[in-house]
Amino acid sequence: MLFTLLPVLSVFSRILLAFAPAFLVPLAWAWFLDAQHHALVWAYGFAFTTVCGLVLWRSTHRFRRELQAKDGFLLVNLVWMLLPAFAAAPLMFTVPDITWTKAYFEAMSALTATGATALSGLDALPVSVNVWRCFLQLLGGLGIMLLVVAVLPLLGLGGVQLYRAETPGPMKDTKFTPRISETARGLWGVYVLFSVACMLAYRWAGMGWADAFMHMCTTMGLGGFSSHDASFGYWDSPRIEAVATVFMALAGVSFMRYFIVLRQRSLRPLTRDREIRTYVSVLVVSILLVAVLLTAQGVIPDFPEALRTSAFHVVSVATTTGYASTDYAQWPVFAPVLLMFLGCFVSCAGSTGGGIKLVRMVLLIKQARRELVRIVHPRVVNPVTLGGAIMPNSVMTAVFGYMLIYGAATMGLTMLLLFTGLDIVTAFSAVVATVNNIGPGLGEVGPASNFGVLSDFQIWVCTFAMLLGRLELLTVLVLFTGHFWRK
Amino acid sequence: MFMPLLRVFPVLGAIVMVFSLTLLVPWTVSWWSQDGAQGAYLPAVAVALVVGLLLRCAVFKVGRKVELQTRDGILLVGLVWTLLPLLACLPLLLYFGQTAQPISVTDAYFEAMSGLTTTGSTVITGLDALPGSINLWRCFLQWLGGMGILVLAVAILPMLGVGGSQLFRAEATGPMKDAKLTPRITETAKGLWTVYCVLSVACVLGYWLGGMSALDAWAHMFTTMSLGGLSTHDSSFGFFQSPTLEWVAIVFMLVASCNFALYFVAFAKRQPARIWRDTEWRGTMGLLLGASVFVAGLLLVKGTMTDPLETLRVALFNVISIGSTTGFATVDYTTWPVFAPLFMIMLSGVATSAGSTGAGIKMARVLILLKQARREMSRIIHPRAVYPVHLGGHVVQTGTLLSVLGFMLVYGGTIIGLTMLLLLSDLPFDTAFSAVVASVNNMGPGLNEVGPAGNFQGLTDFQTWVCTLAMLLGRLEMLSFLVLFTPGFWRK
Repeated sequence: MLFTLLPVLSVFSRILLAFAPAFLVPLAWAWFLDAQHHALVWAYGFAFTTVCGLVLWRSTHRFRRELQAKDGFLLVNLVWMLLPAFAAAPLMFTVPDITWTKAYFEAMSALTATGATALSGLDALPVSVNVWRCFLQLLGGLGIMLLVVAVLPLLGLGGVQLYRAETPGPMKDTKFTPRISETARGLWGVYVLFSVACMLAYRWAGMGWADAFMHMCTTMGLGGFSSHDASFGYWDSPRIEAVATVFMALAGVSFMRYFIVLRQRSLRPLTRDREIRTYVSVLVVSILLVAVLLTAQGVIPDFPEALRTSAFHVVSVATTTGYASTDYAQWPVFAPVLLMFLGCFVSCAGSTGGGIKLVRMVLLIKQARRELVRIVHPRVVNPVTLGGAIMPNSVMTAVFGYMLIYGAATMGLTMLLLFTGLDIVTAFSAVVATVNNIGPGLGEVGPASNFGVLSDFQIWVCTFAMLLGRLELLTVLVLFTGHFWRK
Repeated sequence: MFMPLLRVFPVLGAIVMVFSLTLLVPWTVSWWSQDGAQGAYLPAVAVALVVGLLLRCAVFKVGRKVELQTRDGILLVGLVWTLLPLLACLPLLLYFGQTAQPISVTDAYFEAMSGLTTTGSTVITGLDALPGSINLWRCFLQWLGGMGILVLAVAILPMLGVGGSQLFRAEATGPMKDAKLTPRITETAKGLWTVYCVLSVACVLGYWLGGMSALDAWAHMFTTMSLGGLSTHDSSFGFFQSPTLEWVAIVFMLVASCNFALYFVAFAKRQPARIWRDTEWRGTMGLLLGASVFVAGLLLVKGTMTDPLETLRVALFNVISIGSTTGFATVDYTTWPVFAPLFMIMLSGVATSAGSTGAGIKMARVLILLKQARREMSRIIHPRAVYPVHLGGHVVQTGTLLSVLGFMLVYGGTIIGLTMLLLLSDLPFDTAFSAVVASVNNMGPGLNEVGPAGNFQGLTDFQTWVCTLAMLLGRLEMLSFLVLFTPGFWRK
């Protein structure tokens, strides 16, 4: 067991070293905007992480070897479990009255691009702390993108083989490093491009530079942290909400596609794709539905106004971002539940969003339709197709296996929270909000409140749920099987 | 479009006419005891007979010797479960029409649907004050529904291959190779109904010896064996306050949540050991008993109840009642720590065996799903290994597996979709969700407004119809009803 761990640790140490400079970003902000002792905290964070990385690298360096699939699982888990710990440490010294549970939750929420917060009084925090929280989401987004586009398909779980066909670069190479670095360069290029555009748009719409930077980070990562307790309600500006809506909707699609679009200089890969068409139509229909409901029930009597509010919240929750400009939990109960439900599956495969992913949903619906045909014509051969390609049964069973575990995990974690005495709406929505990396739930953890009201145990359950959801469940759960550790 | 309908009309007519005769049972009781509802039955019998005869008239168009095909089977099942409740609700409409509080068609149809699908939700309060025969009719409907379901689940659905139910075929009785519907169904029905009737007699004796009046014993036997859960008292089993009766109910609910075909085979081959060697039987028993003990422990630890033996009995009764989709209650379990009622409702989705009168996903499917999930985990580590999924010594084919998964999907989709509909009509989340789950699993009481201490009366007409639809969908395993709405079904 230790022997399998050592080569993985060696890679991890390099990731840690690469992660360390991230502390310089809040350091820079603290230098100009905060008190001196805050800047010191980030400097210590940088030093501590670097030293840990170096020590680890030094001691595991001689065990380096080419990583196998099994090592890949370990590595992914290690990264998403340990990096939040390093990221959480500075919070302990900068945020008043914070516990380690909350700090780790906050960092996990950031790095998984969830956006659930356990902190209140955000407006009063030092700027550098908010910058750090938000910047972590941008980093999380980068990591996730790499994970879903390059790493998970290689590990072949839950039918993610599907996404593989879309990735550019040398496909036949099954070794990790060359493919991943190839993919990463292209993806990150597009990501940075969009990020800059997003930040400028926010600035243009009326945010200050600091807010524009922070909200750009959390928009592009589909995270949803904000530097204000009231989130986007702080500005109440149609223009800012419009910018956010557009960029969230854009980020809900795999950046891979934009990469391809840029390379081929043609929009066809976007417009002709089944998943993206479904994505757009689901969003448009939901926005209209909620807007009509809000007008009809008299919550927002003015229809254009209702449309604007509806568009912002539907896109925000459906893409698993989790911004809010009003307390939508107060809307007629259908609306918030619909939003949460959309959050479970709307974001596209390969995006930084969480949940089931739309492509899986499309496959599942096709399979259900196939069953209906089979009842009438038992002997008919009607394989499920996607974009003209026939889906092999093994992919279908893998997708279903994922769904099963997804359902079971949601159910099981909800039960666990109920067991601790939470009411059903809060428990269920907290789990849905964290497993799908959405952010705010309903009830006690609704958009007007935060996860800080939960007990320590409940917060840990939610932390685990975020990790599970982000790593597509199987990656984490496989570690608990006997098979994995057997020689 | 009309041809497929015409083809099944003669059979449907025959079923309706036989059904009309069952109305004579409450009529006899009513006439015997002069309970004031005598006038409610004979008009209903007449209407049913006329409807049946009219349907039979289709014989002249399609001829006497129509061999039913798969497609006709699906259509027939759908029609039986929508038309019979319409006829069965006539006595309720007639009786309540002459009292001070007439009942709406919506409510009457809901009540009859709840009876024939063995759900056990009710929109009627003041049950204790109703004439005995009306109560008996409500309960008798469930018993009849149970008979229908046994044939449906063991003979018809597997034939159609709905949601992977081919699986259940292996254990069924009768000649398997015959692809024609009629002979197989007749054969199966004979065997299953014998078992059903024998167990019913045992149950009624148990209740009677346990201290119920004759009418109560019959009524509660009807709703126990069919896992329905209607009662003649507003406070359900809580009315009796009798541990003996509760134990009798516990035993028979457990018995009825298992595959009746299994009992039949074990009995016919004189191999009782077949029963407890059966994987699915073990699953159902283990889950129900284990869950009861778990809930009992929870109640003790949380201090809801203090006496261990009594707690165990109360937990066994209520958990098994909800888990087996029966829906009797002795206490208002929604006042227990919130975990328990939700856990019980979840249980109702998975605990009963295929081939029982229960509903939900069915234990056989659950076992396959668990194995499939474990297989996916193993496949991640050894992508090229071959791991077949086994059930009871047979390898489950990939096609069947996908059907089971497809079923799960439609099941989940149905629950989410119908919950959304109820939410749209402004019901609170837990009421809406629990009402849908309780209806789709044909279990009965939900939580809050529709909980064991309340009933479905408070819902609006629209909400009642949604729940009616949910019961019907759940009973016909979703797919076999939904398929009627696909254009492919009606295409030549």
